[in-house]
Amino acid sequence: MIRNYIKIAWRNIWNNKLFSAINIISLAIGLSAAFVIGLMVYYEFTFDTFHQNGDRMYRVVSDFETPQGDMKNGGVTPPMRLAVREELTGIEQSAYFFNWWISESKAASSEQIFKDPEKIILTQASYFGLFQYKWIAGSKETALQKPNQVVLTRKRALEYFPNLPLTAVMGQTIEYNADIQAVVSGIVEDFDKRSDFFFDEFVSLETAKQTESKDQILSDSWGMTNNASQLYIKISEHSTAAQIKSQLLALSEQHVDADMIKYNNKRTFNLQPLADLHFDQEYGVYDYSRPEANKNILISLIFIAIFLLLLGSINFINLNTAQATQRAKEIGIRKTLGSSKIQLIVQFLGETFLLTLLAALSSVILSILALKVFDDFIPNGVDATLMVSPWFAGLVLGLITILTFLSGFYPGLVLSRFKPSRALKGELIRSENKGSLRKVLTVSQFVIAQVFVTATLLVSKQIYFMMHSDLGFRTDAVAYLQTPWEDQKVDKRLVLEQEITNLPGVSRISLGGMPPASHNMATRMGIYKTENQEVIQELQVLNGDGDYLDVYNIDILAGRKPLNDTIEEYIINETGMQAFGFHNPEDIVGKYIELNSNKRLIVGVMKDFKQRSLKTGIVPLVLTGDTGRERRTNFRTVHLVLGDKASGWSGTLAQIEQVYKKIYPGEDFKMTFLDQTIANFYEQEQRIASLLNWATGLSVLISCLGLLGLVIHTTERRNKEIGIRKVLGASLVQLNLLLCRDFLKLVLLAYLISVPLAWWGLHNWLQDYTYKTEMSWWIFALSGIGMVVLALAIMSFKTLRTALRNPVESLRTE
Amino acid sequence: MLLQLNHIYKWVKQGGKRVFLLNDISLDVEEGEFISIMGPSGSGKSTLLNVIGMLDEFQEGEYMFLDESVHTLKEKHRSKLYKEYIGFVFQAYHLIDELTVYENIETPLLYKNIKSSERKALVADMLDRFNIVGKKDLFPAQLSGGQQQLVGIARALIAKPKLILADEPTGNLNSKQGEEIMELFKELNQEGVTIIQATHSESNAAYGNRIIHLLDGSKQHQASN
Ligand SMILES: Nc1ncnc2c1ncn2[C@@H]1O[C@H](COP(=O)(O)OP(=O)(O)O)[C@@H](O)[C@H]1O
Ligand SMILES: [Mg+2]
Repeated sequence: MIRNYIKIAWRNIWNNKLFSAINIISLAIGLSAAFVIGLMVYYEFTFDTFHQNGDRMYRVVSDFETPQGDMKNGGVTPPMRLAVREELTGIEQSAYFFNWWISESKAASSEQIFKDPEKIILTQASYFGLFQYKWIAGSKETALQKPNQVVLTRKRALEYFPNLPLTAVMGQTIEYNADIQAVVSGIVEDFDKRSDFFFDEFVSLETAKQTESKDQILSDSWGMTNNASQLYIKISEHSTAAQIKSQLLALSEQHVDADMIKYNNKRTFNLQPLADLHFDQEYGVYDYSRPEANKNILISLIFIAIFLLLLGSINFINLNTAQATQRAKEIGIRKTLGSSKIQLIVQFLGETFLLTLLAALSSVILSILALKVFDDFIPNGVDATLMVSPWFAGLVLGLITILTFLSGFYPGLVLSRFKPSRALKGELIRSENKGSLRKVLTVSQFVIAQVFVTATLLVSKQIYFMMHSDLGFRTDAVAYLQTPWEDQKVDKRLVLEQEITNLPGVSRISLGGMPPASHNMATRMGIYKTENQEVIQELQVLNGDGDYLDVYNIDILAGRKPLNDTIEEYIINETGMQAFGFHNPEDIVGKYIELNSNKRLIVGVMKDFKQRSLKTGIVPLVLTGDTGRERRTNFRTVHLVLGDKASGWSGTLAQIEQVYKKIYPGEDFKMTFLDQTIANFYEQEQRIASLLNWATGLSVLISCLGLLGLVIHTTERRNKEIGIRKVLGASLVQLNLLLCRDFLKLVLLAYLISVPLAWWGLHNWLQDYTYKTEMSWWIFALSGIGMVVLALAIMSFKTLRTALRNPVESLRTE
Repeated sequence: MLLQLNHIYKWVKQGGKRVFLLNDISLDVEEGEFISIMGPSGSGKSTLLNVIGMLDEFQEGEYMFLDESVHTLKEKHRSKLYKEYIGFVFQAYHLIDELTVYENIETPLLYKNIKSSERKALVADMLDRFNIVGKKDLFPAQLSGGQQQLVGIARALIAKPKLILADEPTGNLNSKQGEEIMELFKELNQEGVTIIQATHSESNAAYGNRIIHLLDGSKQHQASN
């Protein structure tokens, strides 16, 4: 029986090559998307799932409530490391570590210096108690007992000592920042499973006493929280997170200090489950180079996959019910030969299964290709090797089963219901199934596709708007050059500025801190006191010399610039001025604002500009000079306006590099154009846009394939009618319109339904942006016209060919 | 008694009026009979055969098949009856285009869940009997009309039905082919198979041992013998 079914299924697939191809392609697109997205989801959801009793592990974090808003900090105040052991109950294990950022490290026995080495933590044996590593040499009990000890992963050991066997690495010395030494006291295997704990080098916590930041790492003061101070706990079997949390709450109340009361800040300690770590957006994880695992994007991706699968399924249902007439005779015969309804449904499910299986097989190959093509978008660890897992096999089988039922059940039901006497006469269907379901499905398909098209247009428009709107300062032909941060002195930078000024291709130059718009901004609390009130306001601080505002074309509305580069005088922006309660720029000039408990003079007001990106609004900001120059300079960036582009920037850039290399030999030359920095602000939007482009392209493709299939089907049935009409003198356009009309109606209906849906969705999306592009009517018009034109073009591909055919031919075939 | 029709009426509504396709048909069929239903085109022959074959419903009257009332039969029982008792032969042959001659003949056995080895033997017998062994791997489109009808009959017979319903089995064949088919039916009938055929050819009708005349859905009593 099965053989018989497969045979007939295969012959049917083969005899209807075009329809089979449409079905397989439509399903394969959805399946490929589902496979790739499935791999991504699997990858992202299997981080740190291998730790022993991981479900009982938590990170202790700190939540702050301040008048300026809430802040989340993934770190804890250092005394907490002791408190969780000594004061709290119900905690089985805990591990404290400090994320150690240093400027260089090297093996004492080698000349090779590693600049800005990453993945180094200062920690204790308890870390290895909580997180299980395989030990190649040394032991977790003793390896980090004493100061100046370090444990390496195999990978890191090979980096430091490429020529030594691992056994010989034990006892070697490593130097940090040239003045701290540690002896290798253990070697562990890197985690072979996915983990966010990507550290390679574990220095004993005691060593921290020799570092500059010893106060921060091992302090007894409850007042300070550094997000590099990380604390993990495993709660005991009989305890619950809620019990620990309430103890933590009590602890935070116990340690309220005077500053917190004064500034009306509140700090609470909290627990973050280990399972939430990977998708964390608030507290921060350790690998900054990895694109954030964004649960929302993953969920959108899952939806896209589901939509694409549905669209493919719809094609399948539509084409198969449309073709039912052709199958009717076979069904009638089978019924008279004794087939039951169930047997017929099984037969059709079997055919669907075969097609789905073919689609799935091609999808496995397609998704391997897709993994390559979408390299930029897909997390680095996701590759074809993940496919070799029971999990993936389960996904493939599961999807094949679901799709088979989704696509095959309804057509099977329709077909199996035919009355044999009528089926044999070939007269049925028109009365049994007017194709209304087909219409509903086609409309739904085009609604989905149309919403995608509209969304793509609007998202692109918003990106264009953000990248091209006036930020309030000069962004073209401006570049900035960053200098090595280890150099704390300003002297070399002044020389650098002087030498660049002399270059003919540079028209303006300034020495300062970060550019007006950047990701990293320092902030400080500003307090303005009058007799009866006190305004406390968070202020962003920019540093720049007297030319800074000129380089960036920012106007001064009132007052003046600071007298010189090191005097503590401040220019405030309009928003800041208003935040302190002033309406006229002239009024705030000459007033004092308290910063770090010192009164500081406001000497001028500058025009507002957009500091961050158009996603956020303008925030209060002050500009000052290099106020802390004796300790360390804030003037670490050279800002410059390049001359006429026509005269060639590359020459100028090369000259600047030469100058730089002369002053800072051996250092990296990091020159950035401001417009590039601004474009980078919108990286996430760009990613969304490219995702949407693909989703749109594929959903339009599937829907149009389905449309083509239906048009071919109906046109074929109307061959004779077309022949007669042509003989009667119908023009090509008339014929084409006649054939496309019914389908165009569906596309138009879908468009009408899509407009409010798209409007609503996009309106919500735009709410996240302070500066929004308009939801112009032409976006909706354009997307509708585009879709209609495309649908018409695709249909005409078939209808025109039919209409062009010699009428005698089609009439003779009867 | 194999089957019994009592005052069967079948009608369709057209413009609010009943148009009778079968009008008060009563008919008793004993096992081993060979009945010819005659009448001009449009007289209701196919309709009657379809009702007898339970492919079509009727509005009024009673139909007993092997002493069971067909009206109350569920779809499942009906397909069981097809499998066990009834074989159909159609004017338009109605072979499954996607299956070979061999597979077409085999299909009813599949629905009867007969073992593969037994199936092979039965199909081989049939191919032999109808002299179409050489054609077994061809598709219906590759056969002449007469050959297709032979396959159709072979398929109807393979499940050893008690009753064969043949709707103008020779309608699309030339007279020589037609005669061969009729001889075959006669042979089968002599082996004990009950046959009801619809035809509008006098000579074909004469093969039967009883002839029923139909006109506009009614039995014509004066002509019966
Ligand atoms: N479902 C139906 N609806 C309306 N009229 C029908 C239907 N089925 C059959 N007829 C009509 O009933 C009459 C008898 O048809 P049929 O049994 O096929 O005649 P025969 O086989 O004797 O040529 C014809 O006039 C035909 O048009
Ligand atoms: Mg007839």
